[in-house]
Amino acid sequence: MSADAMLAIGAALLQAGGMLAAAPLLRTAIKKMKARLQNRQGPPLLQGYYDLAKLLRKETVRSDTSSWVYVAGPRIYFATVVAATTLIPVLVAAAPLEATGGILLLVGTLALGRFALATAALDTGSPFGGMGASRDMTIAALAEPALMLGLFSSALSAGTMNLGVLVRELVLQGPSWHPGDLLAFAGLFIIVIAETGRIPVDNPATHLELTMIHEAMVLEYAGPDLALVEWASAVKELVYLTLLVNLFLPVGIAMSLEPVPLLVALVAWAGKVFLLAVAVTLVESTNAKLRLFRVPELVSVSLGLAFLALAIRFL
Amino acid sequence: MVEQPMADLVAVAWPAALLVRLLTVTATIALARRPAPCRWVALGGSMAASVLTVTMAAEVIVSGQEVEGVLFQHAASGIVFDYAVTPLSAWFLMVLGVVALPIALYSAAYFAHAVAASRTAVVGVAFNVLLGSVEAVFVATGVIVFLGAWEVMTLATAALVATEYQERANRLAAYLYLVMSHIGTGCLVAAFMVLASRAGATSFPAMLAGDVVSGPLRDGLFALFLVGFGVKAGVIPLHVWLPEAHPAAPSSISALMSSVLITAGIYGLYRVCAFGLGVPDERWALALMFVGMLSAILGVLYALTQTDLKRLLAYSTIENSGIVVLGLGASTMALAHGQRAVAAVAVAASLVHVLNHAIFKGLLFLAAGSVVMTTGTRQIEQFGGLLKRMPWTALFFLIGALAISGLPLLNGFPSEWLTFQALLLGFTATPGLVRLNFPIAGAMLALTSALAAACFVRAFGISFLALPRSPAASDAHESPRLMLVPQAWLAILCIALGLFPGLALRALEPVIVSLPGLEAAGPIAAGALGMAPGISSFDYVYPAIFGVAVLGALVFALSLTARRGAVARQVPTWACGGALTSRTEYTATAFSKPLLMIFKAIYRPQRQVDALAGASPYFPQEVRYRAEIEPTFERYIYGPLVRGVVRAAGAMRVLQAGSLHAYLAYVLVLAVVLLIWLGGTP
Repeated sequence: MSADAMLAIGAALLQAGGMLAAAPLLRTAIKKMKARLQNRQGPPLLQGYYDLAKLLRKETVRSDTSSWVYVAGPRIYFATVVAATTLIPVLVAAAPLEATGGILLLVGTLALGRFALATAALDTGSPFGGMGASRDMTIAALAEPALMLGLFSSALSAGTMNLGVLVRELVLQGPSWHPGDLLAFAGLFIIVIAETGRIPVDNPATHLELTMIHEAMVLEYAGPDLALVEWASAVKELVYLTLLVNLFLPVGIAMSLEPVPLLVALVAWAGKVFLLAVAVTLVESTNAKLRLFRVPELVSVSLGLAFLALAIRFL
Repeated sequence: MVEQPMADLVAVAWPAALLVRLLTVTATIALARRPAPCRWVALGGSMAASVLTVTMAAEVIVSGQEVEGVLFQHAASGIVFDYAVTPLSAWFLMVLGVVALPIALYSAAYFAHAVAASRTAVVGVAFNVLLGSVEAVFVATGVIVFLGAWEVMTLATAALVATEYQERANRLAAYLYLVMSHIGTGCLVAAFMVLASRAGATSFPAMLAGDVVSGPLRDGLFALFLVGFGVKAGVIPLHVWLPEAHPAAPSSISALMSSVLITAGIYGLYRVCAFGLGVPDERWALALMFVGMLSAILGVLYALTQTDLKRLLAYSTIENSGIVVLGLGASTMALAHGQRAVAAVAVAASLVHVLNHAIFKGLLFLAAGSVVMTTGTRQIEQFGGLLKRMPWTALFFLIGALAISGLPLLNGFPSEWLTFQALLLGFTATPGLVRLNFPIAGAMLALTSALAAACFVRAFGISFLALPRSPAASDAHESPRLMLVPQAWLAILCIALGLFPGLALRALEPVIVSLPGLEAAGPIAAGALGMAPGISSFDYVYPAIFGVAVLGALVFALSLTARRGAVARQVPTWACGGALTSRTEYTATAFSKPLLMIFKAIYRPQRQVDALAGASPYFPQEVRYRAEIEPTFERYIYGPLVRGVVRAAGAMRVLQAGSLHAYLAYVLVLAVVLLIWLGGTP
């Protein structure tokens, strides 16, 4: 095995491990900030880790109507999300497994995980699973074209669909502040909110049957199965936020593997993701959840923004 | 020395395959009174012939050498039945053979249950005639043979659709199929006649050289060919026969129709529309892209709301046909702007999707056939819990569902990935406003594949998971092994071509080189493992290597949750305090309801709820619910068309009143008019 391959595997393991380690913190931080905005104390910052540890220690309880599909769902969801972390640049302007594919593989992999989880949700016979799966797939289907167009707009301006190459190209070009970028960013921000199940599209804190989307889909899971779902969802959110900050503001990202640039990159990445998390918190705290049938309007705004971004960049 | 026998074999392979089919048909007829041997002879013969054609096709693709020959020559009339296996024909022949083999094997067991003993011979003959005529369509080099084979193909399919002719719906489906096909064939005959008279020859090499016609006539011919081949390809708005005919036919025949018959239309679009009429016009490319986009998006939207499993798959065929045509459209658009390398990528995307669609749709129809055979119904709402009763069929259907949703690690992904590449490269390569078509098409393709995922989560989840919804589903049992082996073969192909997309792409290279105007910038396949359309490292993908990463993460997930000795506790699902029965499950109709509401401008849903009130209006004795989506094309395009034709026929009846005097008068008037007209010319 060549040195490049060893380096890629090592980097992939480190990056996946790092994202897995950081993701619960992001979720709790958003919860905490939200609580502070509501004059509550909020959970301790490490609560996410405590929850996961507790869920992983619990007994596995499953529905007796379910089959292996129900068992496979959370595991495939977790596996695809963790594998997806190796396709995006985080600290270094290179993705560990960028040699295997780019944007389309990333989007496809996340879709595979969603397919697995939605299918598994139909396996318990409970109406909630079906309702959640139906709504989750609906919103994902609506978000997909806007997500793709938004990503295409940045990809085409750099002339590559590979995220590693793309970010390196962006760093070389320097920040452009092209209005097209701002539009594409706004469009993608809406999609990230939709894809990560945040208000105004979905409410991660609710267990009220008629308003749940993602939570309804995973309602029947318990113990270690639930831990996988929760953890993977947190990682997925971190992946989306990282993608957004590195595609539109790759400031401070390391161009080499030396300690100092890496340290700078770590601080820069954490800071940028934190700022975006603040934005997500503010959106969540100042908006009401939209009715399901109003979500298409929000998503079409995003689609329109992405299309405009392409149009003003290239016409 | 080893090369020579192989070349000899290839030279006679197609006549030999045709002979095998003829002998099979004869033997099938002879054995008509003994269903079991008759069935085996018919399908065994078909498999033997398919092996011959696949071998020949593979050899043509590997060597890049065309195989030509003459079947029959009549010196006095000058009629020559010759054939040529070009790389393009070989690709389509290979697609046909790869799915026809497992379908024939499946049918050998399936027909015993699904086809009445007295009809076995008819179905066996039609099966062979259909495959033989599609092969003839692919290798014909003259317009006479081509149209003859085209017509035989249509008739054989109609016979198969009407297998269960006792049901009125099936007879109507066959009739609708015949009418639509003949509208298409009429267009083809007209266009080929113009082309042949201009070229002064009836052979394809002369007619389709690309310099025969020009100007508006060329555009007109393109439109005629587009309609003619579009009917068979099942693109919207010419698709109306497809969702009727597919469910009416026995399931393995539906698989054949979706995988094979549709490709005949696609082949025509390639051979004639895109690469037979000279350098494509930009307007043609726009037409193809528009038709492709429309078919893809409307096909999947209609598929989403179907509750008949086979109708759902039929609409999904329309969607995939649309994706193929979209790729072809992108390629013609690139050709119209002289971008040969981009056109090559788009052609590769479209042709690989032809192969991949044939494989996963064949698989899905076969699995659906197993389900329909054991439950006796096609209604998804009657299924449920089938996974526990037919575990293998469920697994194969799931693999097909994952593949058709374009998810990585299966074979739907590479062709959709390539189509996206073609669209993005097309955007960078074309000038002006027209380039905006590409991102719009890209967004539509993204929406299509995401909706397809929703559609197949629904189709698989509602049919195979949780509790059975009817006695038919709870009594279901697994199909015989003979029906599972073909499904396993197709499922393995789905996985193999998903992990090693380079295999199919490498086979495509000679095909791309052989098409006029295309020029690959470099190999599109990156070894067997990957794809890289090669234009300045724009993008590449190696699914199998990434698959190892996913596998690693999966092992990590398993190790996180695995504990020694711990067995998962099984408890009933919480049903809000009531009993969990199949009536608490989410239904297929409910699953697609949000999308139905969101796209109601397209669906125009109508529903009717009648409550039969008893003593109190608050406790109705019975609630009747009926919901339907408006069949837009049937109602607003074909309805007026049919009414117009019937009215015109009624008006014409005045002329044909049965009076001999009147007829003699017509002849006289015609003679006078002809004399005046022809007499006027010197």
